[in-house]
Amino acid sequence: MAGKTKKIQLPKSVLEMKFMKKTRERIEKEMENMQDHGSLYSNIITNEMRSASGNFISESSFIFCDTMLEGRLSFKGMNPEIERLMELENADKNEQPSSEMVKDVSDEILAKKMEKFNKKRQNPDSEARNNKRKKVNN
Amino acid sequence: MKVKVGDVVLPGDFCEEIVTAGDKTKIILGPGLKKEVDGIYVSKAGTLRKRAPNTYWVDSYQKRYIPSRGENVIGIVVQKAGDIFRVDVGGSCTASLSYLSFEGATKKNRPKVVIGDVVYAKMLVASKDMEPEIVCVDSHGKKGRLGVLEDGFVFKCSLNLIRKILNPDCPLINSLKNQWPFELAAGMNGRIWIKANTLRETIALGNAILGSEYLSNEEIKSMCTNIAGILAGHIS
Repeated sequence: MAGKTKKIQLPKSVLEMKFMKKTRERIEKEMENMQDHGSLYSNIITNEMRSASGNFISESSFIFCDTMLEGRLSFKGMNPEIERLMELENADKNEQPSSEMVKDVSDEILAKKMEKFNKKRQNPDSEARNNKRKKVNN
Repeated sequence: MKVKVGDVVLPGDFCEEIVTAGDKTKIILGPGLKKEVDGIYVSKAGTLRKRAPNTYWVDSYQKRYIPSRGENVIGIVVQKAGDIFRVDVGGSCTASLSYLSFEGATKKNRPKVVIGDVVYAKMLVASKDMEPEIVCVDSHGKKGRLGVLEDGFVFKCSLNLIRKILNPDCPLINSLKNQWPFELAAGMNGRIWIKANTLRETIALGNAILGSEYLSNEEIKSMCTNIAGILAGHIS
């Protein structure tokens, strides 16, 4: 556990400076304590105890297990204050899935336009000819 | 006995499915499941349930409320003791509710709460060895849906029924909400407070809630249309 959360330590060169004497002493003391703790209980604390909780989190309430509505509800204008809160919550819920961009052009119109566009691209010659004819006509 | 998700389980049963799932990801063990050194054991009788991806719990029939943190409960103020109110929430001991944990309350401006009032509050502290503490404000200091419930009618039911009617799939509230105006507060401690405009409507609402305990979704729908019909005078 202690190994995982590595503390940021001051470099040795800084600690050796004169004015860092107190800090150096404190750090040395801490190091000693850490080693003592480790050796003191090493015969009592087993690896099993260290990993006892593991991946399991205990939860004593149902509200975190099942999805549930808010317990305070009002309908048909019985309590406008609560209904406003309910509306706000519903609006939040409905907004989330439809976070896509709003479409300016519907899919159908786009499909039609693309069809025309592709036709033009496939036979640009005929199109050019058509244009020429048009110019001649004009 | 070895059990799997969806089974009817008894205290002492164990589930290897959860242990193997626990090797890979974090698992949330809900009420009724205990972690022991050599596995996961069931501690309540009921149905073992799972919610994707990683939550397991035992859905049990229970009437006794055990306070747990974060739940919304309905309590009755039974005593004023200096700075706090003692509130009966149906647990093993009364919960404490500070007079400062109301919206806009200050030391000078005390909230108007008297003995006998019904409050809808959130469990803030709930531990095995201590008195639970409840509050009537959220973390922003707003009351939201919490606070004193005025008028209305309170009745008790099993803790399962509360979870059943608050489930988004339950048709009860959806079939009643367009019938007549009403207000409802359901506490996870097995108390329901209802309020409607007339006595008939209140009784109808209470009966609809209590009657839906052992009914299927289809039966709940037909019961609601039946009750609404009686109330509107179509059926006598």
